[in-house]
Amino acid sequence: MTIEIEINGRTRAVKIERVGARYRVEADGRVDLVDVARVDRSTLSMIVDGDREASHEATLLEGREPGEIEVYLRSGVVRARVAGAPGQRRWKAGSSALGGPGGPQRVTAPMPGKIVKVLVKPGDRVTARQGLVVIEAMKMENELRAARDGQVKDVHVADGDLVEAGRLLTVIE
Amino acid sequence: MKVLIANRGEIAVRVIRACRELGIPTVAVYSECDRAGLHVRYADEAYAIGPNAPSESYLRIDKLIDVARRSGADAVHPGYGFLAENDEFAAACRDAGLTFIGPSPEAMARMGSKTAARRVAIDAGVPVVPGTVEPLGPSVGEAEIARLADGIGYPIFVKAVAGGGGKGMRLVASPEDLASAIRAARSEAGSSFGDPHVYIERQLAFPRHIEIQLLADRFGTVVPFVERECSIQRRHQKVLEESPSVAVTPGIRAALASAACAVARAVGYTNAGTIEFLLDRDGRFYFLEMNTRLQVEHPITELVSGVDLVHWQLKIARGERLTLDPEATVRPRGHAIECRIYAEDPDNNFMPSPGLMLGRRVPGGPGIRRDDGGATPGLDVPIYYDPLVAKLSAWGEDRDQAIMRMSRALGEYEVRGIKTSIPFFRWLLDDDDFRNGRFDTTFLDRELARRNGEPFVAVPEAAERVALLAAAIHAYEGAARAGEARRSRGATPRGWTLTGRMDGLR
Repeated sequence: MTIEIEINGRTRAVKIERVGARYRVEADGRVDLVDVARVDRSTLSMIVDGDREASHEATLLEGREPGEIEVYLRSGVVRARVAGAPGQRRWKAGSSALGGPGGPQRVTAPMPGKIVKVLVKPGDRVTARQGLVVIEAMKMENELRAARDGQVKDVHVADGDLVEAGRLLTVIE
Repeated sequence: MKVLIANRGEIAVRVIRACRELGIPTVAVYSECDRAGLHVRYADEAYAIGPNAPSESYLRIDKLIDVARRSGADAVHPGYGFLAENDEFAAACRDAGLTFIGPSPEAMARMGSKTAARRVAIDAGVPVVPGTVEPLGPSVGEAEIARLADGIGYPIFVKAVAGGGGKGMRLVASPEDLASAIRAARSEAGSSFGDPHVYIERQLAFPRHIEIQLLADRFGTVVPFVERECSIQRRHQKVLEESPSVAVTPGIRAALASAACAVARAVGYTNAGTIEFLLDRDGRFYFLEMNTRLQVEHPITELVSGVDLVHWQLKIARGERLTLDPEATVRPRGHAIECRIYAEDPDNNFMPSPGLMLGRRVPGGPGIRRDDGGATPGLDVPIYYDPLVAKLSAWGEDRDQAIMRMSRALGEYEVRGIKTSIPFFRWLLDDDDFRNGRFDTTFLDRELARRNGEPFVAVPEAAERVALLAAAIHAYEGAARAGEARRSRGATPRGWTLTGRMDGLR
């Protein structure tokens, strides 16, 4: 079976087949033989045959978009997108959070809270990581920042407003 | 004794555990979103006290007293936060014939006013940070305050008399910024604490935050413990604490302990409390304030002293005498570190990351203590309260071993579904200045500013390959399973989506 997997913006065709009790996985011109034990429904223990029998544990959780999965490893979380299995729907380029830039950035309230200060106004140029809105919630003041460079299109809140989670605060183009 | 715990999350669980060890029945209270919380599940009895907003549940003195009556509880443990330092609550408990597990309302009120507390310290012969002694009310004009500030010397802090947690506090570098800082601090103090009084303190150069835990019984015995170092702070909030401090010599330790006891005796303090000091580079220390309750970071003191502070809180409250050896409690037994694991995204300016915890793998093994209950898998980290998920503590024979163990435990720790501060701590524990003990209270904010958003979560390239293998195997097994399911249903093999396969696996 061949599966397409995208990690960190790069898509590989991954060839996978059962060989006895193990999997043979071929990608990026490299072959690994992997012994797998399922720990629970979402966690795999993998022993990868190489110079040494490297032991890895991976927990896989479905992401927000179809085909998106989060792979939890000892060293952190890797986000991947999977497609290309029989009948599998393909994703549209640049359609998700993984796809990088594209489309305006809609900044929403991550939680209910009070707007302490709006730091930008329509028309302002902003750079990546620049503060946009300060919201107070969970006993803390938090600064919502721009994900990338752009221009402020709209501002939908004012200082002192109480907002619900998900409320649109500002749009950056 | 039957104890009502007027709190939630990990501290409620902590108190319930101590009660159970001592054979004391427990009563939990919960707001709507906490119905399935660990503290409710652990307690012998549990009572609903209202909606999620703290002001409608955990801060409602009337409802708490009512639950105590209905449940037959005769004592109340306030935990920390919420009503723990509210002298009206302590008085209401006493008026209702309940034992408040903490100091008297009078001692609490006196130490709750920062200027009154400074006065107590001065009278007890304990040095305070240079500043104003009297509270500055609204009638004290800006010119008068400017004159006082000149006498103290810049840079200064303007702080709320009723303050805490960095609220109502302004740093002023030079005289021209004083007037606006006074106005801002007064306004914030008024809206946050209902008291616009402020006072001024000089900002010390390179201060370390050092505090002394103590226990005091009803017979005048006060027992101090080895100091805790809490200089690792982000925006005036402690994030990591350790005991003992690398900056404290045996001589300073003895002087700190005796100063702390002097302050506690001066107000007739009972039960557990903590005196906070600032320590400068020359080993001089200054009284800062007193916390009249059990503190978040109490586990590290328990680890280096071998004493269960909550057991003693309960025993003191039921009238027992302290029998601890005060010489032994100020002798450190190894080294302990605590990390406060918050539901927040360190790679997004530490933004709170509430939501559903899907799963976790927790650390254990030698020297590791985990206090959780703030959130467990399958439950939301509520948006209404402090987003503390758990406290992770490590003990070692010395500081290096404690750091090694903490690093190892942080590596084992995995929380899925919500972001946590675990990756931030992995970075911090590896930092040279931290490892060498070279830091003060301004260290972390400076380091974070210098990093300017550089991600804490840097997954090594080799992990990409492992993730790729896992994703491929997962998809393959999902497809195989979906195929079997179709065959067993006798359906024609047709197109199917990954979502369907994933659902089948969950």
